[in-house]
This record gives sequence, structure tokens and C-alpha cells, in this order.
Amino acid sequence: MADLKLTGARKAFGAVDVLHGIDLEVKDGEFVVFVGPSGCGKSTLLRVIAGLEMVSAGEVHIDGERVTHLPASDRGLAMVFQSYALYPHMTVARNMAFALENMRLPKAEIDARVKRAAEMLRLTDYLDRKPKALSGGQRQRVAIGRAIVRDPKIFLFDEPLSNLDAELRVATRKELAALHAELGGTMIYVTHDQVEAMTLADRIVVLRAGRIEQVGAPLDLYNRPANAFVAGFIGSPRMNLLPATVIADDGTLRLRLGAREIAVPQATRGLRAGSAVTLGIRPEHIALAPDGGGQLDLTVDLVEQLGSEALVYAGHAGLPQITLRLDGQSRLARGATIPVRFSPDHIHLFDTDGLALPRP
Amino acid sequence: MSDGSSRPPGRPSAGTARVPASARWRDRAAGLAGLPVALALRLLDPLMAAVQRLIGAGRMPYVFLFPNFVFFGLFVFLPIGINLVFSVTGGPALFPSERPFVGAEQYAYLFDCGSYLDPSSCREDHFWRGVSNTAVFVLFQVGTMVLVSLLTALVLNRPIRGRGFFRAVYFFPVLLSPVVVALIWKWILQRDGLLNAAITSLGGQKILFFVDPSWAMFWAVFVSVWAHMGFYTLILLAGLQAIPSDLYEAAEMDRTPRWRILWRITLPLLWPNMIVVIVLSLIKGVQTFDEVFVLTGGGPGTATLMVVQYIYETAFANQVQNFGLAAAASVVLGLVLFALTLAQLAATRMKER
Repeated sequence: MADLKLTGARKAFGAVDVLHGIDLEVKDGEFVVFVGPSGCGKSTLLRVIAGLEMVSAGEVHIDGERVTHLPASDRGLAMVFQSYALYPHMTVARNMAFALENMRLPKAEIDARVKRAAEMLRLTDYLDRKPKALSGGQRQRVAIGRAIVRDPKIFLFDEPLSNLDAELRVATRKELAALHAELGGTMIYVTHDQVEAMTLADRIVVLRAGRIEQVGAPLDLYNRPANAFVAGFIGSPRMNLLPATVIADDGTLRLRLGAREIAVPQATRGLRAGSAVTLGIRPEHIALAPDGGGQLDLTVDLVEQLGSEALVYAGHAGLPQITLRLDGQSRLARGATIPVRFSPDHIHLFDTDGLALPRP
Repeated sequence: MSDGSSRPPGRPSAGTARVPASARWRDRAAGLAGLPVALALRLLDPLMAAVQRLIGAGRMPYVFLFPNFVFFGLFVFLPIGINLVFSVTGGPALFPSERPFVGAEQYAYLFDCGSYLDPSSCREDHFWRGVSNTAVFVLFQVGTMVLVSLLTALVLNRPIRGRGFFRAVYFFPVLLSPVVVALIWKWILQRDGLLNAAITSLGGQKILFFVDPSWAMFWAVFVSVWAHMGFYTLILLAGLQAIPSDLYEAAEMDRTPRWRILWRITLPLLWPNMIVVIVLSLIKGVQTFDEVFVLTGGGPGTATLMVVQYIYETAFANQVQNFGLAAAASVVLGLVLFALTLAQLAATRMKER
């Protein structure tokens, strides 16, 4: 168990900058998830921490010790690879024991650790099998077991669930959360799936194009995204981001949204009339307003009935398609016109640079 | 991710689609080269259609196989048959019809030995000398070959400077004719050759490499390894590159010392390719003739006489041309090679598993 500190970590491959100076601290025992679209540099960042890639500039500290130029083997970390990277010619037991043999632990100690990890991961019956004879989920657990037996300073996970089918992914996600609760180790986890990030993380690091967009607890990111990118990335279905124009900002902010004018009854922000903003509203924060009080009239394009909820995709002239999350029993016909209201406490505003405008 | 307003774009995206001019020319050249083929096919088409109408579509594959069958029959199976006939007949006559049948006499003569461990106790001592020389040659050649090509492949698999150049350099001797290779090395190793010139200029004594039996065998093995190692290096290099790189990263995370990575990860995963190399070099080693024959002539005496050279000399080069005996020796050699080929097939199948 250990803490981690990155200062100004840069990484360039040839002329291509992949990481543009990352500053980040991970506390002892924390579960931190790096999330971002593909190509955002999250895997590279993990490999930089692992020592499989060296930073082009900046520093890496583990437990207060500078490890910037230490190779991976000397950092005392363990990694679960996306491909699992199990040694194909060794049995499950030998795969897990391999690192311990390298550490020259006594045989009895190695056997005990492998046995304990196997029990924890329900692999006891498979210890004599080769990886080829295992299912995807079992291989995944062996890869985790290989990390656990080492009792590493930090666990690194590189998209460990992406090769599993949807059902297994949910199950393994829950197991990982339980595992972290049980082991209490520092874990850093890379994924492109914001659901994994939301469900597993103590803190989420949202990355884009080699830069950190926002760091925070899952609900903080959900409730107060720092910019339009994070707003759109965290939460499913995505937040609706609608272009709007300021009409006036005198006590109540009034915005032109499509053909309609809506009031955002929040504190004065001193926005100039005529300036452009982006209004963000999550699908779950739009409600039907059948008996008057509707702020916007939408025409239903498509309804996805999921039983527990209904996702409604609807349009309004001059605006991108808007997603609503409604009661699972709502029956709306395609082409119907529905008046809707935005929950006033859940409206997000972003300036032309995409940065969130301060909320009261 | 639609938004894109909060940050200026860093650089234009890499994959702008533009076909390089060279590719366009390549396509055009390929089209031009294909023209005669297309023309020939158009001419052949009515003929093939007529044949198909005549014999039915089900038999068409045999029409296409026919030319190859003819060549195989004429140049492989027919000679094997003739060779078998020669091995059970005697006398100096060339035409099988004029040769008297002698049964297994040739084989009995070949295997008439006081002790199989001592060639000089055999009636046909040259054959057994050849067998024992070939055995020694194969033992050293295969051992050295595997070791040298493994080391070379391991080095060439690392990201060293000029890797492509070295890969080509190590493969070049494979492209040369064995006779040319042997002539070049003979020129280096002979009495007044390059190597002796170097030795004397350093104040040493000339070494008569082709007069000393041990030196002659050493250089026979050396030249053979030099000439063929590129091929085996290539097989091993392909095997090394098939090992996923994340296994090595996992090994690094597991704090594995270098030698242990080699012993416990690289070599076990390379083993199927190693078996292919061992068996293939064994088969080619047993067949060795041309490079050693040109280099040493089988000498000094019979110190580097190989089985194939014995067969050649018995049948064609000696004053008495003993076709029957040579044919019998060929059959024996053929059986050994057949066994080795079966081993190779088994090894290849193991590799696929």
C-alpha cells in the first residue's frame, strides 16, 4: 500500500505529445479511476506510473520516494493487463507463483499465498490448468490473483473488463469493488467506460487529449462538472448540451433557447446580453409539464421503452436532439408534441470555452 | 464527444487520406503486368469450357493437377522406382532390363560388418566411414546451428541499431549456391589462403587446414553453419516475434531477472520453433554433400567423406561404376530421411497445437 504523486508528467512518442504535464496525487488505499475517450492518454499514464514507459519530463513519486527513472521491475507495483498477459505455458498456480519465485520467497510461503488468493478468487479447482483451458472470466481472475499474491504497493488495472461479455463485466465489477474493500490497497484503474468509473472509483480522473479535465468523487463530477466535456462524458445517457443566447441577466437570467425564452431563476452572473452559452441539462432532470408551465415544446422522434424507465429522444427547431429519461410506463407516440420543464436546480451553464459558469 | 469548444485543437488529426504517388504507380504497373495474363486466360477460357463439358465439373480438379502429376511422376516417383530396381540387381550394365536380379545381395554386402562401431571391419568400409562421418558432422552441425541461430535471433529481435541491415546480412549466405560458398571459403582456408596470410602476418605458422582431419571436419561444420544459419535464424526470429510483448511486460512487472525471462518465458514459448529447427537441420545435415565435397573433397583421406559423397562416387566417380551398391545405399539413406521427415511432421503438428 502506498501513495502516488505525479508532477508535471509529460510523455511524447517522437513528435507526438501524449501527456501534456499531468499533476496528480493518489492517497494510500484510494481507488482512482482514469477515464476518457480512446486516445486520451489514460493507458499511457498508467504505463508511466507502472514504469513500462518513462516520462519525457516531470516526476513520479511512490511513497515519497522518487521513482521517475526506476524501471518497472523496481517499483513494486502489480498490473492487470487488458489482455491478461498470462504465461500460456504455465499452470494457474505457476502463473501466480512466478513473481513470488522471483522474490525468492520460501516455498511454503509461496504456496500459502497462492492458496489464499485462489480461495479469494474461487480458482482453487483450476490451479493445475493452463490459461488456454479457462474461460475469459477465469483468466481475468488469474490475472488479478497474480497481482494479489505479490501484495504490491499499488494495483494497476488496464481496462481489465473490456474483454468480458456484458453480464460478466457487471459481476466482475462488483467483485473488484468487494476486493478493494477487503484488501484496502491503493488501486489505479483505467477504463473508457464511465459506468465502471462511477461505480468503482473513490475519485475519478477525467482525461482528454493528454490533459486532466477534472478530478473528483463520482457524484461531484456528476453534480458539478467543471466543463462541458466532463458534463457530456460522465452520466448515462449523456447530458443534453444545448446552445443558448443570453437575453438579459438582471436578477434572473433569461436565455433564448431555440424559439423559446426560458428563465433560469438563479443568482446573477453578470452575463452580457447577446453572449452565447451552452445550457446543460441531464435527461433525468427534464420533466413533462402537461398542465401548463412547460418551458419548451418538443416533438418525439423515438421512444426506447426499458421497463424501469423510458428514454425519449425529441427535437425542437434550432436545437440538437434532446434526450429525456421518463417513467418506464410513459406511453408517448412518435410525432407527439410534449411540453417539458427543466428542473431549475439542475441546469448547468458553460461559457464559450466550455468552462462551467459558477453556480450559486 | 461532441463538445470540442473548451480547448483549441492541438494538431490536425493524423489520418488524412492521401494515396502516396508510389502506390498509384505500383497499381498501374500491376495492372500492366496483369494484361498478358488476362489475355491468356481469355484465350484459354473456351478450351477449358469444352473440356469441362466433356468430362463434367467434378473431374475438373484432376485436369489442373495433371501437369504437376506428370512432373512428379517423371522426376520423383519414376527415379525412386528405378533406384529400387537397381538396388536389387547386379552387374555393371546401365539398363535395368540387362541387369541380373540378385535379391538383397547388395544390402547384405553393405551391411557385412565385423562390428558396426568400427568402419574398417566392414566389407564396404567407405560406406560406414561415410555414415560415421555424417553422424559426427550432423551432431556438431545441428548443435552449433541451433545455438548460433538462437543467439543471432535473440540479438536480432532486440531493438538494436541497424537491425534490418543485420537481418539481411545474416540471411544473404542462404541465397548463395552451396558450391559458391564452399569455393569462397576454400579460397580463404587453403594453404596460401586469406586466413593463413593473416596468421603469418601476425607472426604465426601456416596451418594446413585440409591436411589435418580434425581441422577439415571443423571447417566443414563451420562453413555449413555459416551458409545455412540465416534460414534457421529466420524461423527462430519469427517464433520470437510471435511471443506477445505484454508477456514480457508482465514479466517485468513480476520483477523477473533477465536470465529467468529467457529460461522460463522465451525458450519455452520458442520451443516449437526450436524443434522445427533441430529436425530440419538434422534432415539437411544428413543430406550434406555439395559444400563439403567442394571444400574438402571428402579428405584428407576419408576424414570428411559423407554418405551422399560415397553414393555419388560409388555410382559415378569410381573406376568400377557400382550402380547396384549405390542404389542400395540410397535406399538406406532414404529410409533414414523418411523417419526424420515423419519426426518433422510430428513436430510441426505439435507447433500447431
